[in-house]
Amino acid sequence: VPHGLRRLFAASSLLFLIVLAITPTKNYFRAYRSLQGKYRRLGMERAHSLKEAGEYSARPVAIRQIWLRDFDNRVDRCVTCHLGSADPLMQGAAEPFALHPGVAHAPADFDRIGCTSCHGGQGLATSEREAHGAGPDAGPPMTPVAYIESACGRCHSGVEVPEAPILSRGRSLMLRSGCFACHPARGQEGFVPDAPVLATLPLKTGAVWLKRWLSDPKSQDPNATMPNFQLAEADIEALSHYLFSQTPPAELAARIAAAGAEAPGDPAAGKKVFSESRCISCHTVEGKGNGSAPELSKVASAAGRGWLLAFVRDPHAFYPRTRMPRYHFTDAESRDLVAYLEDELRDFDAPKDQLEPLRVNQTLAENGQKLFRRFGCFSCHAVPGTGESEKFGPELDGIGDKRAASLDFGKRTDLPRTLPDWLAAKIAQPRSFAPGLRMPSFGFDADDTRAIVTALLSLGAQPVPPAYQHAVARAAAPVPAGPVGRVIDRYRCLSCHNIGDRGGDISTAPLTFEGSKVKREWLVDYLMLSYSIRPVLEERMPVFRMPREDATVLADAFASFYLDPAIPEDPFADRPPGDADPTEGQRLYTAFGCRGCHILGASGGYYGPPLTETAKRLRPGWVFTWLKGPQRWRADVRCPDYGLTDTDALRLTAYLETQRGDAAAPAPGARP
Amino acid sequence: MNSPRRVLLVVALAALGGIATGCSRRTSEAPAPAATPVPAATTAAATPAPAAPAVPAPPMPYPVSIGRQVYRYYCMTCHGESGAGDGFNAFNLDPRPRDFSDPAFVKKSDAEVRDAIRRGGAGVGLSPLMPPWGRTLNDRQIDDLILYLKTLRRPPSG
Repeated sequence: VPHGLRRLFAASSLLFLIVLAITPTKNYFRAYRSLQGKYRRLGMERAHSLKEAGEYSARPVAIRQIWLRDFDNRVDRCVTCHLGSADPLMQGAAEPFALHPGVAHAPADFDRIGCTSCHGGQGLATSEREAHGAGPDAGPPMTPVAYIESACGRCHSGVEVPEAPILSRGRSLMLRSGCFACHPARGQEGFVPDAPVLATLPLKTGAVWLKRWLSDPKSQDPNATMPNFQLAEADIEALSHYLFSQTPPAELAARIAAAGAEAPGDPAAGKKVFSESRCISCHTVEGKGNGSAPELSKVASAAGRGWLLAFVRDPHAFYPRTRMPRYHFTDAESRDLVAYLEDELRDFDAPKDQLEPLRVNQTLAENGQKLFRRFGCFSCHAVPGTGESEKFGPELDGIGDKRAASLDFGKRTDLPRTLPDWLAAKIAQPRSFAPGLRMPSFGFDADDTRAIVTALLSLGAQPVPPAYQHAVARAAAPVPAGPVGRVIDRYRCLSCHNIGDRGGDISTAPLTFEGSKVKREWLVDYLMLSYSIRPVLEERMPVFRMPREDATVLADAFASFYLDPAIPEDPFADRPPGDADPTEGQRLYTAFGCRGCHILGASGGYYGPPLTETAKRLRPGWVFTWLKGPQRWRADVRCPDYGLTDTDALRLTAYLETQRGDAAAPAPGARP
Repeated sequence: MNSPRRVLLVVALAALGGIATGCSRRTSEAPAPAATPVPAATTAAATPAPAAPAVPAPPMPYPVSIGRQVYRYYCMTCHGESGAGDGFNAFNLDPRPRDFSDPAFVKKSDAEVRDAIRRGGAGVGLSPLMPPWGRTLNDRQIDDLILYLKTLRRPPSG
């Protein structure tokens, strides 16, 4: 064999060996191996016993992984470095060894849902850079912790997701802001925005006010849900001409004209009507109130007298989907109310002609009609003749799984190239990416933006496996048709109260089982002349001036249909007589410290409702059931569950049954 | 005979080398900065210094922010917004609600505080006006709440 060939063979063999050794050598020096050594030493330091320390020292150095059979057989190797994530001894240890913070599903469900289901990133990788998706050619990056609740929303589809307050807030903001009027999304096909119908606008307001509103709705009403379309002067002009070119329905026009011709009412009497009607349970006056309906401090400068008067008498004729109830004002009461609005709730700096109508220029109005379509106004404000509303915004399903590389950052070279940063900027300054974009700006603050980004990130491209989908079951429509349904609709009970899974969240009292809760006679009286049950609350039941017929229809319906079969009619039946002993209950009332929150007798806190009239208002079976677990009524009830025995709960019930709101009732702490 | 053999050997070596490096690309992630070609587009995208993110990182860790929400919902009415025991309902209560900067409170262990929250004042030999929350709040909420309570300590005044 020639010498040269031998040398070549030796050299190539050496090269071959080196090449073969590259991978094992690289593997040997990989970071997780030394981390596992460090963890072993840390565990031995923290161990409480020799046996525990021995367990740590015996841990082999190896790749560790969670095999997620339900998620396409995915494998999460995060635990190769995050070794203490489920180890209580690693509480407060430095990363990557720290115990996972206690949140829902962690660490209890690690084996079932793994790590990447919530945190994103690359489960297979075993180096920090690749696993966290930080490398330029790594897969999708991890979800920043600020938005981590988006992961909850991948499985939990309801608006209110327990233990995910940021996600829940984001989802309810998206519904309230009407995002789904323009953007299609799974489950929101039936979304109907509750924006006002604009048909009577020419008879409601004037050109000056309308143009101010169009240039920035929030400048006219801080509670406005309508976003700012950042319209040019010329566009505002054209839109105003279009809106004033509409012909209001003749019937409503006649009502407005007739109301405008009525003699003015008495502002002082109107002030009383205003406060009894509890308008600020939904509206605000100078920021005071609930804020789910318009600010009223300048309302008389936004709408004319005839329109206001016709509207408060029958809001549903103007806006069929409004949440405002229809009160039973007499003609004089509504005149007084509007006189009060005109006297005090107006913009004293407004120009005199603020409510002057616009003399319509037909050409401008036609341009305005085109703009009305172009900006998508008709997605929220249905106007006959502008065509069906249409969802022309990009679909939101899957937006949470978009790759940063696929996003159009346009002019925004200042942004970090990540999906959450892109979404946050889209929401905060939607028109800053390119000229010609149509999405308006909603004026969300940083917290709201974060909540909405969280909600958007929860919209994945693929649904999670069915066993993990946690949808909220929709109950059958709980409001019957016929007279009961008409009364509930007239007073818009569902604007504030829940019945089943429907209704608003202004009231803390769901009506689902109202018949099992309150006594019928009390309810009739209360509906006719309601008063404050919880004095700390700003949002209180309005005085609707409800006639007895309506109150009776409602109270009968509640007493017959809105019942919880688990609440006993008579909780004392088949119990030893000692359980109905009010004296023992009186002692327990003091021992449990109920007076910290409730007024009874002469003293007590006024955080919870006063209990002085319990026996007149509440059914004993409900009181007993409540005491056994207040959160059964509603998960967010603040009255703590004392874990009472049946006997203690019954004795307390018996004591509260002695409270009829008269002087004879035994006060807590008094000697029986 | 020689030259084809040599060629074969070189080809085989090249192929082996290729496989070895190919494998290591796919499975290992040892940083090899000099050797790894970075796509030009990515470099360009990464060049502009990232500005401050549009949404600033939350000022408090996530569990503390959950604890804060629990506190504001359940505790603030009596213990007050700043934890000084001066909530609006405090004036009804005798003894007054705990001030979380009170030295006697600060020196309590987490376990003692957790016990008092779970079992209430009556459970730990204090005033029954502090209710037991162990059946209303879950363990995670209580742990997060304790983390937040620690942020409510005011520095001891001179």
